[in-house]
Amino acid sequence: MRESTTPPRSDSVSPDTQHRVEQFLYAEAELLDTFQLKDWLALLTEDIMIKVPIRTYTHPGTEQSEFSENGYYLRDNYDMIRERVGRLKKSYAWSENPRSRIRHVIGNVRITEVTEESYTVTNNQHVYRSYGDTPENDTLSARRDTVLQRGEAGFKIADRTVFFEDSIVSTKNITLPLL
Amino acid sequence: MGSSSNSEYSSRVKRMIEQTGSGIDEGSFPLKIFNDQDIYDAELRRIFARSWVYLGHMSEIEQPGDYVRRYIGEDPYILTRDETGQIQAFLDSCMHRGAQFCTADKGNTSHFRCPYHGWTYSNDGTLQGMPKKAEAYQGLDPEDVELESAYLDTFKGLIFGRIVDEGPSLEEYLGDFKWYLELILDPTEKGMTVVTDAHRWQANHNWKTSADNFGGDNYHVFATHQAAEETDDLDRGPWKKLPDNRRGEFNHLACTDNAAVSYQITNDRETYMGYPDDITEHFNSDLSEEQTELFRRSLFYFGTIFPNTTVVHAVQSGGWGGPWAAIRKWQPRGPGEVEVISWWLVPEEYEDNDAFMERSHRGWESLSAGGAFESDDLTIWEGISESTKSMTLDIRESKGNMQQGMDGMSDEVEILEDPMHGPGEVTTNGGFYDERGTRTLLSSWYEQMSREETGANSGEQ
Ligand code: FES
Ligand SMILES: [Fe+2]
Repeated sequence: MRESTTPPRSDSVSPDTQHRVEQFLYAEAELLDTFQLKDWLALLTEDIMIKVPIRTYTHPGTEQSEFSENGYYLRDNYDMIRERVGRLKKSYAWSENPRSRIRHVIGNVRITEVTEESYTVTNNQHVYRSYGDTPENDTLSARRDTVLQRGEAGFKIADRTVFFEDSIVSTKNITLPLL
Repeated sequence: MGSSSNSEYSSRVKRMIEQTGSGIDEGSFPLKIFNDQDIYDAELRRIFARSWVYLGHMSEIEQPGDYVRRYIGEDPYILTRDETGQIQAFLDSCMHRGAQFCTADKGNTSHFRCPYHGWTYSNDGTLQGMPKKAEAYQGLDPEDVELESAYLDTFKGLIFGRIVDEGPSLEEYLGDFKWYLELILDPTEKGMTVVTDAHRWQANHNWKTSADNFGGDNYHVFATHQAAEETDDLDRGPWKKLPDNRRGEFNHLACTDNAAVSYQITNDRETYMGYPDDITEHFNSDLSEEQTELFRRSLFYFGTIFPNTTVVHAVQSGGWGGPWAAIRKWQPRGPGEVEVISWWLVPEEYEDNDAFMERSHRGWESLSAGGAFESDDLTIWEGISESTKSMTLDIRESKGNMQQGMDGMSDEVEILEDPMHGPGEVTTNGGFYDERGTRTLLSSWYEQMSREETGANSGEQ
C-alpha cells in the first residue's frame, strides 16, 4: 500500500465541486467529533472498506513502501463498521469510556481523480483527542484518501484509507471517530 | 552500588520481592510492583538480562542479510541472518564510541556502517574496516573488535535471546510447556509463517499487567469485553458449538513452571478453531494423538511464557474473525509503559487462501490497538498503571488478590488428569475461575528477582 504522490490538479475540478467536496468532509468530521455515528453510518455505501495500514520504517534507500500491503490496524467492511457503531453506544465499551473529546482539523483537500461516478479526494488532518479528567491528550496526524460516490442525494463514502504518520501507534487505541 | 541511599533502595526492593514470594501461597501480591521505578530497574537487570526473551521468528529473516530490530529489556539488538546463514543478534552500539548504526525496523544488508566515524561491521558482527586505518590505527587488529552479541536459542522457529549466559537452555526452560507450544504454534506439517509487519503500539501500562492478562485471565472477559461480545449480526462460527451459558465448563487452564495458557474447547472433534476441514490433512505428524485430539476440539489458546512472550491461536468470539495465531511481545518501556508488538502467523498451507487470510486477518485485527476487543483492555490497563504508582499503596504495602482456585474458593475448579490435556497442571474452568496462572507467573518473577546477580556490575555487593 502506498501513499500516492499527486500532482497539483487545481484546474481539474470547478471551484463549485471543490467547495461541495470540502463542505461534505467538514460536515462528516463534525458527525465524528460529536459521536453522531448512526448519522455518519448513513453516509457510507454498503460496499465500503475502511483501512488503516501498518507503517514500518524500512532500511534507508529501499524501494519498499512503508505501508503494509496486507497488514492493518483496522480493515473493516460495512457489517463490521455497523457493529462497531453499535458497540460504541454502550456505556461499557471501555475504549470510549471516558468518551474522547475529538476535534478534526482538515486541510489540503485535493481532488485527485474524477470519474462519472466518483471523486477521489485526499486530505491532511490533525485529530486532537483529549479524554477523562486529566491534562493528557494526543494528536493524530494523518493523510486520508476517500472515494466519494456521486449521487442524486449527494455524496456517499465508498472507500477510505487513513495513513498515519506514526509507525508505532501512540494513542491508547484507535476508534472510529478518530479516523 | 555502595552508597547509603542505594542500599536503602536495595532493601525497599528486597522487601517487595520477599512480600511477593511469601504472598504466592496465600494468593496475594504487593500491588506496587505494577508500577515502581526501583522494581523496574531491578527487573531489567535480573529478569530481562537473563531470561529467554523472544526476538523473532525464523520466517522473518529467511534470506542472508535480512534483519529486524528487536529489544532485550530496553537494549536495542539487530536480529539478522549472516552471509553464511547463521542467525545472529548484535547490540546496536559501535565498539568505537557507542554510536548506533541501525535506524530502521527491518531491511536487508550485508554490513552496517557506523555514521559517526565510519567503522564498518559485517553482519556476523566482525569489524570489516575503518577509515584511514593505515594512518590512524596501525597497531589495531580488526579481529579483536566485535559487536556485543546476545546468546540465542530456538524452538519451533521461535528465536529467543538473553544477555547473560546462565541458567537453563531454552528447551529446559520451556519444559512441559513445549507440549502446548507445539500444538499452538506448530500444528501443521509445513509450520507457521509470520505474514506481515507487526501491529505496534505504545501503551501506558506495566508489561506484567498484559503478560498476566494473556496468561489465563478469561475472568475479565465478562466485564471488559461484554460490548464486543454482544454483536448483533455477525456469524459466531464454531462458537455456536458451545451450549449457551456453558462456556466455563469447557474452559481450562494449564500451568507449567514458567508459563500458563487458558484454552476453550468444545465436545465436537471437528471444531479446530474454524479452520477449513482440510486442516486434518495437514496435521503435523510429529504431534501426539492427544495433542491432535485437543487441537481438533479447540476454540482458543491464550498463554504467556514468562517474562514477556504471549502466544495466541484462536477464533474470536462474537464473530470477530479468525482463526489466527499471534506472538506478542510486551516490550518494557518504563515502569508504567510498554510497547506492544503483535505478529500475525498462519500455517503455511493457508498462506495463499484469500478467503481464509481475510478471516484470519480479521481475528488478528480484533486484538490490535484498533480492535473491537483490545481497545477496551487498553483503557483499563492504563488506569492500573496510574493507580499502582500511588504512595498509598506503597506506604501501606497494600496487597492485590489472586486467590481464585485456592481451597474453598470455587466448586467449579478441579484438577484435571487426562493425557489429552497435556503434562501441565490443568484445572477445569481454570481460565475463568482459577488465578493459578497469575501465581505461576509471579513465582517465576520471584525466582528471578530473588536470585543473586553474578555479572561484574551486578547491583548486589
Ligand atoms: S562511534 Fe562508530 S565509528 Fe566512531
Ligand atoms: Fe482482554
